[in-house]
Amino acid sequence: MRLMVPLAALASLGLSGCVQTQQYADLQFAPPQGDYRLLVLRPDVQVGAVTTGGMVEARADWTEQARANVVAALRAQQAGRGAQATILESRAALPGVYAEQVAELERLNAAVNQSIALHKYSGATLPTKRRRGLEYTLGEVAIGFGQRTGYDYALFLHAQDSFASGGRVALQVLGIAGCFVGFCAPNVGGAGQFAYASLVDLKTGEVVWFNVLQAGSQVAGMKMGDLRTPEGAAQLVERLLGRMKPGRDIRRAQAAQRAER
Amino acid sequence: MKALSRRSLLAGAGAATLFGSAAPARIPPAGISPLVGPGYRPVDADERGMWQQMARVEEEIAGSNLLVKDAALNAYLGSLIGKVGGPATRDLRIYLARIPEFNAMMFPTGMAVVFTGLLLRMRDEAQLAGVLAHEASHFLLKHQIRQWRDMRRKTDVLSFASMLGGVVGGAAGYYTGNLDQLAQLGTILTLFRYNRQLESEADALGIKLIAGAGYAPISMAETWEQLTGEIELSAAVRRKRPDRGYSIFATHPAPRERMIDLRASAAELAIPGRSYDRGRERYLSAIAAIRPTLLDDQVKLNDAGASQYVIQTLAGDGWNGLLRFYEGESLRLRNTPGYDARAALSYAAAVAYPDAPADAWRWHGIALMKAGRGEESRAALRRYLSLAPTAPDAPFVRQMLAS
Repeated sequence: MRLMVPLAALASLGLSGCVQTQQYADLQFAPPQGDYRLLVLRPDVQVGAVTTGGMVEARADWTEQARANVVAALRAQQAGRGAQATILESRAALPGVYAEQVAELERLNAAVNQSIALHKYSGATLPTKRRRGLEYTLGEVAIGFGQRTGYDYALFLHAQDSFASGGRVALQVLGIAGCFVGFCAPNVGGAGQFAYASLVDLKTGEVVWFNVLQAGSQVAGMKMGDLRTPEGAAQLVERLLGRMKPGRDIRRAQAAQRAER
Repeated sequence: MKALSRRSLLAGAGAATLFGSAAPARIPPAGISPLVGPGYRPVDADERGMWQQMARVEEEIAGSNLLVKDAALNAYLGSLIGKVGGPATRDLRIYLARIPEFNAMMFPTGMAVVFTGLLLRMRDEAQLAGVLAHEASHFLLKHQIRQWRDMRRKTDVLSFASMLGGVVGGAAGYYTGNLDQLAQLGTILTLFRYNRQLESEADALGIKLIAGAGYAPISMAETWEQLTGEIELSAAVRRKRPDRGYSIFATHPAPRERMIDLRASAAELAIPGRSYDRGRERYLSAIAAIRPTLLDDQVKLNDAGASQYVIQTLAGDGWNGLLRFYEGESLRLRNTPGYDARAALSYAAAVAYPDAPADAWRWHGIALMKAGRGEESRAALRRYLSLAPTAPDAPFVRQMLAS
């Protein structure tokens, strides 16, 4: 009987790792295909170590490695879709556009993203936006930006990853060992991936697609991905951008077409 | 269970007295020196990670539209922080943000942000140099990384101890949750206490730096005396109790304690018979172009007590048309019966100075009109129009004068 608790705890270890995404799209959104021009604005990547106490300590070398991996993976993934993708590493790197105009677009997007996070992901749903997909726009600023630069889409991406330090893993081992004496802490957790991306149509200014990815485990030391390796970065890009679903109206039209055939 | 809670109480009391006392002892300036040399770059992994994160923060701040873009003023601030920056003279950057609050901050990489509310309150260059030297000292003493390491060490120990305690307690059939919570509180209190200690360190090195640069060391204590007075009057006018900053959860020592400690340090550093620089004229000419904006932003905060204190403190060095005008504005904006008449007196006093702003004539004219002194009022408004012919309300005033 006394073994039941630790056994149940061990059984839960296998279940506690998880990867989930939640995407929203404009009702009329069709994922870009074929020959389109995409601008990726300064992918924001941060990687750190989780201390024994549970704080995330930024690591410069891991971050640089991960950023390079994510940029390479993005390039490969977009080339596969037929895009001519430009990945902007700094605000001043776009010919013919002032760094301040790039900054303006980034800040506007950040503000709209906050709104999306609040009303689409944090439970504060708006009655006026129910069942309307993604109804957000960056307005004239984005249209003007598209006209000046000639790009069809802008993609914004943020990714962070963290790994349990040796101390954190030791704490987890102690927590699991405790299960045998009646003090059970099998889910110390703390490390994992979090990423989001938003796609803006620069012809209409609208945010047409948004996706959030979470990948992590409640057990410190168990990894669900690793941005420090090229394979891990490719996995994150695939999870985040690989399965872009069309908007509801487009899906219905496609279903109707299939039914006719 | 009873015995345990009594023990917990004792442990809690112990934690509070050991770690929580609000006022750490004064750190003598003689015993403190910079920890970094010129051109410092981080080596350790944790500090390199911190610096890397700051690169984007600085890019964001450097491009913020809150920054005051006065090139001469920015150059002045840059040279001043360099003057009191010790070995980091060439490594410090300073950004002036238009925020009407008394504040300045230093980031781990040597980037300082100063709010315009600070420039409003400083009476001379020596006082400003004191604040900048305090901020520079945070960088010179590597405060942010030391604070991070302190927090990391303490949370590491706490998590391991509480897990181990739980396991041992579990084996012995003893509930440790209460003790655990007390240990958490104790840890949090020591984190705040450490932060206050770092602030005292920055005061100690800061005053040493300004004394070394030839500024009167007493100027740093004056700054805190002024802030204490402002907090008291602001609260009194609003009929509230002033927040004097004494708390075991405070991040900074209380302003009064800082003032007392800085006075003691100034007495240690001041060389009798030596004449110290205050740089009042230099300071006033550096901020001359934005001083009307500084005052305007302050009076519009709707904090009548603070505005009154600040204006009267600045006027301690002599009244002028600008200060009298904004004294009038602060009184008028109270929108309280009786204060209109006092505002009218301020406007009348303002226009007697050669530097009175055009708006002083405008409000002087309106006050005279309300008092039924039509001819004088028209003269004042004509003067307003001659000083500000393109003011947004100039057509209305002309209309008023014609009818």
